[in-house]
Amino acid sequence: MSKHRVSRRQFLSYTLTGVGGFMAAGMLMPMVRFAIDPVLKAEAGGDFIATPLKIKDITAEPQRVDFTFEQKDAWYTSEVTNTAWVYKDEQDNIVALSPVCKHLGCTVGWASSEDHPDQFFCPCHFGRYTKDGTNVKGTPPLAPLDVYPIQEKDGLLYLGKAEPRTKEA
Amino acid sequence: MKWVSKDIETYLSAKEYVDTAVIPLYSVSFGNEMKQSASSAEFITLLTNYLERQFTGRLMLVPPYTYLKSDQYEDIMNGLKKWEEKIEKNEFKHIFYITSEIEWKNVEDELKGSLIWLPSLPLEYLNESQKMSMIESQVKQLLTLFTQKWHENL
Ligand code: FES
Repeated sequence: MSKHRVSRRQFLSYTLTGVGGFMAAGMLMPMVRFAIDPVLKAEAGGDFIATPLKIKDITAEPQRVDFTFEQKDAWYTSEVTNTAWVYKDEQDNIVALSPVCKHLGCTVGWASSEDHPDQFFCPCHFGRYTKDGTNVKGTPPLAPLDVYPIQEKDGLLYLGKAEPRTKEA
Repeated sequence: MKWVSKDIETYLSAKEYVDTAVIPLYSVSFGNEMKQSASSAEFITLLTNYLERQFTGRLMLVPPYTYLKSDQYEDIMNGLKKWEEKIEKNEFKHIFYITSEIEWKNVEDELKGSLIWLPSLPLEYLNESQKMSMIESQVKQLLTLFTQKWHENL
């Protein structure tokens, strides 16, 4: 018999520590993943979603485009519909703006205020944006509308994930 | 804003901008009326969610006031009045009730908030995009109703 006989108490405490360690790891791992995940996602974020809008139908007048995709919320998958305001600017570049007001998130409309027919208008607190998405000084929003990265595939417009506009206007 | 912690956090830091509370009213029944009950609730849920999306920054979508259809009218009403009182006390200037139960139309005047009644549309046979456009056309009319109310009390 060895001198290091493991007593019943010791045995129990060893095993419990072991199990506890496992459990802690089990809890920590997802947390660590949550912490790093956004970074990983940003890198992989090349998901472009097809819209029903044909490139050739895009004009200088902003038009509303709805596009639908699947979104996973915890265990719940649902179809989500997003909206973009799409037009061609003076240089013939396609611009796709997010309709989400940068103040508190209402949905903005193009020319929906009679007094400002050439601006985006937010009905909630009367926020306004010029055609290129720049917030009008003196109205509540403090940042320009987010911009969707765009792609063209088979003559259709594809949109990525809307991003805050980087270059300051 | 929705009744989730993230939105409530935003709400707490921007209270002065969020002056409208929306309360869906659901009746629940079992037996023969169970399906009707569920389909109305589904309709109102979709509709209020869409509405919330349009007006995120100005309205709070409160969890629905749910009652048994077989309950006494007074009890249902008193329960809702208690909600109304609480919500008013918490600085919501405008309260909207949204329901597809026609009965509420008759007792509208007892409530301080505005009651919006919409006939429930059967959504079960529609695909996602048909559903969307249906809800959208309904909500469009609501939008003007809301903006009008906001203008009145400027
Ligand atoms: S949410 Fe658009 S102006 Fe306040």
